[in-house]
Amino acid sequence: MSPTTWGWLVLLFPLLGTIAIGLGFRTYSRAAGVIGTAAIFLAFVCSVGALIALLGRAGAHREVVSSLWNYDASAGVDAKLQILVDPISVFMMLVVTGVSTLIHLYSTAYMRSDEGYSRYFAYLNFFVLSMLVLVTGGNFIMLIIGWAFVGAASYLLISFWYRRSTATKAGIKAFVINVLGDVGLVLGTFFIYRHTHTVSFLGSFAAAPHVFHTDSPDLVAGCLLFLVGAFAKSAQVPLHTWLPDAMEGPTPVSSLIHAATMVTAGVYLIVRLHPLFVLAPTAAEVGAIVGCMTLLIAGTIALVVTDIKRVIAYSTMSQIGYMIMGASSGAYVGALFHLMTHAFFKALLFMGAGSVIGAMAGEQSLDRMSGLRKAMPFTFICFLAGGFALSGVAPFAGWLSKDDILGYMNNRGGLYEVLGILGYAGAFLTGAYTFRLIFRTFYGEPCAEARELEHGHLAHAEVHRNPANGEEEDTGVGFPGPEHVIAEREPAMKVAMGILALLAVVGGFVEIPGVDHVLSSFLSSALSGDALAAASHQPSTGAAWIGLIIGTIVGLAGIGVAYRVYISKPGTSAALQARFAALHNFLSHKWYFDELIDVVIVRPALTLGRFAQAVLERVVISGALTGGVTGLVRSGSAAVRRAQTGLLRLYAGAVVLGLTAVVLYFLISAH
Amino acid sequence: MILTHASSAPFSLSVLLWLPLTLALLSAALPARLTGKVLAVASLLPLAVAVTFVANFNSSYPFPQFVTSQAWIPSLGIRYALAINGLNVSLVLLTTVLFTVSLAWSALREIDRPRLYYFWFGLAESAVLGAFLAQDLILFVAFFDLMLIPFYFLVGSWGSGERVRATIKMVIYTAVGSFLMLAAAVATGVIASGDHHTPLDFSFGVLQHLPVSRTDGEWLFLGFTLAFLVKMPVVPFHGWLADAYKSMPIPAVAVFSGVVAKVASYGFLAIVLPTFPQASHHFQVLLLIIALASILWATAMAFTTRDARLVIAYSSVAQMGFILLGIFSLRAPGDQGALLQMLNHGLVTAAAFFVVAAVAARAGGSERMDDMGGIAFRAPLLATLFLVVTFANLAMPGSSNFIGEFMILLGTFQSHLAIAVIATLGVVGASFYALRLFIGAMHNRVGGRVQSFELGRAEAIAIVPLCLIILVLAFYPQFGLSRSQASVKLAIAPAASASFRGSESRTLPLTYASLDAPLGWWSYAPLGAGLASLPGKPRRIYTYTTPPSQQGSKQ
Repeated sequence: MSPTTWGWLVLLFPLLGTIAIGLGFRTYSRAAGVIGTAAIFLAFVCSVGALIALLGRAGAHREVVSSLWNYDASAGVDAKLQILVDPISVFMMLVVTGVSTLIHLYSTAYMRSDEGYSRYFAYLNFFVLSMLVLVTGGNFIMLIIGWAFVGAASYLLISFWYRRSTATKAGIKAFVINVLGDVGLVLGTFFIYRHTHTVSFLGSFAAAPHVFHTDSPDLVAGCLLFLVGAFAKSAQVPLHTWLPDAMEGPTPVSSLIHAATMVTAGVYLIVRLHPLFVLAPTAAEVGAIVGCMTLLIAGTIALVVTDIKRVIAYSTMSQIGYMIMGASSGAYVGALFHLMTHAFFKALLFMGAGSVIGAMAGEQSLDRMSGLRKAMPFTFICFLAGGFALSGVAPFAGWLSKDDILGYMNNRGGLYEVLGILGYAGAFLTGAYTFRLIFRTFYGEPCAEARELEHGHLAHAEVHRNPANGEEEDTGVGFPGPEHVIAEREPAMKVAMGILALLAVVGGFVEIPGVDHVLSSFLSSALSGDALAAASHQPSTGAAWIGLIIGTIVGLAGIGVAYRVYISKPGTSAALQARFAALHNFLSHKWYFDELIDVVIVRPALTLGRFAQAVLERVVISGALTGGVTGLVRSGSAAVRRAQTGLLRLYAGAVVLGLTAVVLYFLISAH
Repeated sequence: MILTHASSAPFSLSVLLWLPLTLALLSAALPARLTGKVLAVASLLPLAVAVTFVANFNSSYPFPQFVTSQAWIPSLGIRYALAINGLNVSLVLLTTVLFTVSLAWSALREIDRPRLYYFWFGLAESAVLGAFLAQDLILFVAFFDLMLIPFYFLVGSWGSGERVRATIKMVIYTAVGSFLMLAAAVATGVIASGDHHTPLDFSFGVLQHLPVSRTDGEWLFLGFTLAFLVKMPVVPFHGWLADAYKSMPIPAVAVFSGVVAKVASYGFLAIVLPTFPQASHHFQVLLLIIALASILWATAMAFTTRDARLVIAYSSVAQMGFILLGIFSLRAPGDQGALLQMLNHGLVTAAAFFVVAAVAARAGGSERMDDMGGIAFRAPLLATLFLVVTFANLAMPGSSNFIGEFMILLGTFQSHLAIAVIATLGVVGASFYALRLFIGAMHNRVGGRVQSFELGRAEAIAIVPLCLIILVLAFYPQFGLSRSQASVKLAIAPAASASFRGSESRTLPLTYASLDAPLGWWSYAPLGAGLASLPGKPRRIYTYTTPPSQQGSKQ
C-alpha cells in the first residue's frame, strides 16, 4: 500500500474509536478502555506501515500527498481535505501513536473506578485523532484544524472533572489562550497566502524562495504570527500560564497531552515550516530567544513549586523551550530527537507521579510526601530512570538529544552560541529541580501513607478534597473515584511504565555522534533543501562529544546541589528560603505572569464589557436611541399607546390583505 | 454551450414559494390538536421541493435559474419575478430546514390557539422564501415587509416577558427601515428609467445595468443600507434586539435569527452591491467600521450578560458583524465567506436557541446562567450536542463556521489589513463567551433550581437534525462555496473594481491599511469578456479605467 493509504488508516482508527466509544456509553461503557487502546494501537501499526512504505521509496520521492475532496476551494483558496506523508509526519505519527498507546493502556487501570470512564476514552481517542490530523495535514487549513482540535480535546480533558471550579477555570483559560494561537496561525497563513496564492504546504514551500527575499516584511510577519501559535500551544513565555493550571486534568492526560504530544506541536510547526523560517532569520531569532527565556524561567519556577504535577509541568515548559530554541536555530533533527526522548521520559515521570498520587490518596503536595522509596520500589526506579534522562546524565535518552541541540547551537556561533551556553545553565537547573522532586518524594522519613503502604495497605481518604483549593469534591461526576491505584499493583500500569523506562534509557541510542545516525538520515530527505540542515552546520564528532561530556557534568552538578540541600544537609532549603525571601517569593509567584496578564488584559476587557453593558447599552442604546423612538410612543397616556398598537395592527392587517389580494389576482389572471 | 442554459426543475418556483402558506391554511382546517403535527410533517414538502431545486442547480451558471417572471403591475413596470442563483440557493434550503425543525419543535408542545400560530408560521415561511426568491425590487420590498407581520403577532400573542414593549420596539425599528427602503426602491426604479430613458422596470437584472448618478446612488444606497442594518441587526441599530429575542417563543426566535436576519445580509449581496457599486465602494470603510464595531461591541456584551438567551443573541450580532465585514470587503473570498457564514450561522444560532430552551427547562424555566450549572451529568447527550453547537458557534477550525470566518477575514485582509487584524479579537472573544455559556450551564456545581434529565424526544427533534447538518457541513463546507462562487463573482465584480470612472476612492480615510493590498490575483477582465460574449444575454459591462490587476502589482 502507498504511504498515504497507511496515513488515512492512521487517522481512521482513532476516529472509529471515538465514535464507537461515544455511541456505546450506555451499553458497553466498560469496554471503552479496550476499544480505545486497540484503536490507537492499530493506528500505531499503520504508522509503522507508513514508515515501511516510505522507506521503500527513494529519498527524493518521500513526500506523498493525498486528497479526499475539496474542502475550501473557492475564490482562489485551494484547500483540500489533504494529508502529507513525509519523514517528518511519519516520525510524528510514530511518536504520537506509540506513546498514546502506552498511556491508553495505563489509563485503563488508572481511571478504572471513575464514573466518566467511557467519556474519558472517547475524549482521549478524539485527542489522538486531532493530534494526527495536526501532524499529517497537507495544507495550512488542515494544520489549523488539527491545531484547534487538539486545543478542544485538551480543554475537554482539563475540565474532565467538571464539578471542580478550578478545573473549569483552567479549561477555559487553556482554550482561550489556544484560540489566540489559532488566530496567530490564521493571520500567518494570510500573510503567506498573500504572496504564494496557495495554502498547500508543498506549493507554498516551492513558491517561497521566488516570492520572498530574505526577511521580506510579510514573511517575517507571517512567521512571527506562526510563532504566536507555537508559543500558545507549546506554553512558551508569555503565553504559558495555562499549562500549570492544565494539571487539573487526570494525570494520564497531563502525561499524554500536556507533556508528550500536544505541547510539542509548536516544535513540529517550526520544523514543518522550516523552508519559511529559513528565509526569515529575524523571526527565527525571536523564536530562539523566547525558547531560551522560557527554559530558564520555567527552570527557576520548578525549583520552588510544591505540587508534584506542577513541578513536572514547569519542567515540560523548560524542555519545550530547548526544542523551540533548537528548531528556531536550525537544529531540526535535534529538536525532533529531543521531542521524541522527552515524550518517553516525561510521560514516564507523569505516570510515576500518578502512581505516587494514588499512594497518597489524591494528595499532590510535596510537603506531605516523603520516604516513598521502600513502599513503591517500581515507581521509584521508573522515576529515577525518567529523572536521569531529564537531567541529561549519560547514557540516558535526554543526554544525547539535548546535547544534540546545544552542540548545534554552539557550533553555529554568534547569538546562538550565547543561547546555547544559557541552555547549559538550564541543564543545571534541570538536574537540581528534578532531583529535588525525587529526593523530597522518595527519600527521608517515610510519611504516614508510605508506612501504611509498606504494610500492604493503600491509604484512602475519608473525604476527597480538591488538591488545588481544598474544596470538598463532588463525587457525583466520578472524581476521584473510590479506588486509588498504584503501579505496583496494576499490571497495565506496570507494562506501560516499564516500556517507557526502557525507552528512557535506550531511546537516545538512535543517534550517537560518531556511532550511528538513524534519525538524521531518515529525516534528511525532508530537510535536504535547507541550508541550516546542511552538513557544514553540524558540529564535528569531537565537538559533539565535548558537548556531551559537559552536558553530563552540568546535569550531575545540578543533582549534586539537590543532594546537598535535601539529603546531606536537610535544613538548607528552609535556610535558603529565609535568606532569599524576596527571590523565593518572586519565584513562587511564578514571576507574576498570571497577575500581569490579569491586570493588563483580563480586567480591562471585563471592565469594558461591564461598562458597555451597564452604561452604554442601557443609557445610550436603550435610553437615547430606542427611548427616543419608543419613548415618543410610550409617553403620554395609555390611550395613546393603545392607539399606537392599534395602528400597528392595522398596518399589519393591511399588508396581509394586500398580499392576499395579490395572490388572488394571480390565481385569477393565470390562464 | 453549457453556460447558456440554466437548469430546469420539475416545479415552478411559485410552488415552492406558496406551498408553506397553503399547507398552513389547509392544516388550519383540521382539528386544532392535529394542526401542528400535520403541518410539521407537511412542511417536509417545501423542504423536499427546495432540495429538488438545489439538486438541479447548475453551480457554474452565475445568472438566475428556474426563472418565473410575469408582469404584475405592468403600468408601473413591477414584475412577479422569482429565481434562484448562487446567492440564494443555500439560503432557500436553510429556510425550509429551519422552518421544518421549528414546526416540529412546536408540534410536540402545547400551543395556545394553534391554528393561528401555525398560520403565522406558514405565512412567515412563505414571506421569507419570497424575499429570498424575488428578482424584482418592489416584490422584494413587499416580502421584506410581509416578514415582519407574522413575527409581530408571534411575539405579541405567544411571547413571554415584556412582549408589548418588545413588539413595539421591533416594529418601529424595522418599519422605519422598511419605509426608507420602499422609498429608496421606488426612487431607484424611477431615477434609473429617467436617467436612461428606458421604461420603468424594477427587475434586479435590469437595474444593475442602468447605473444611477453618483450622488443619487449614494442616497439610495444609504436608504437600503439602513433598512438592512436594522434588520440584521448590527450596532448601533440593535436596540430592539435584546427585548425582541428575549420575548419571542423559541421556535420563532430560531427562525428569526436563523433566516429572517439573513434576508438583510442577503439584500446587500443581491441588491446593494450590484445596483450601487460606486456607492458601495464609496462607503466601504464606513460599513467595515460599523461591522467591526458590531463585532467588538456585541462580543463585550456577550461577555458580561448573565442571560443565556442573550448570550446567543449578542453572539448573533457579532456574527452578523462578521458577515457584514465579509460583504464589504468587496473581495471574492470575503463575500463567499459571508454567504457561507449566513448558512452556517443560521443553522448554529437556531440550534443554540433550542439548546438554551432545553437547558432552561432543566433549570426551573430560568434562562439565567446563575440558575444553571451541572446539567451535563444527567444529560450527557444534551451536553454533547450543546458542545457541538458551542464549538460551531465559536467557529472552531474544523467547523464550517471556521471556513466562513476564514474566508471573511481573508477577504478583509486583502482589502483592509488593519481591520481584519482587529476583527480577530472577536474570534478570541467568541471562544470565551461561548465556552462561558457552556460551562455555566453544563458544568460546575449543580445549580439551585436544576433538575437535570436526558434529552427528550420533543427536544431532540429540533436539536439532533441541526447538529447532524452542522457535522456534515464541517466535513464538507465546499457545499456552500461551490454553489455560490460564480454568482458572487458576478455580484461583486462592479463594486470590487477599485477605480471607477469618476470615483476617487483613494481619498477615503483609513486607506493606509489598504496601501499594499494586492488586488490582482484574479482579474475581472476575462470574466467581463466572458459575460459580454454570452449569447442571448444582452448585458452592459462596466468599462474600467484601469484593470485592477495592474493596480495590485504596483506596490
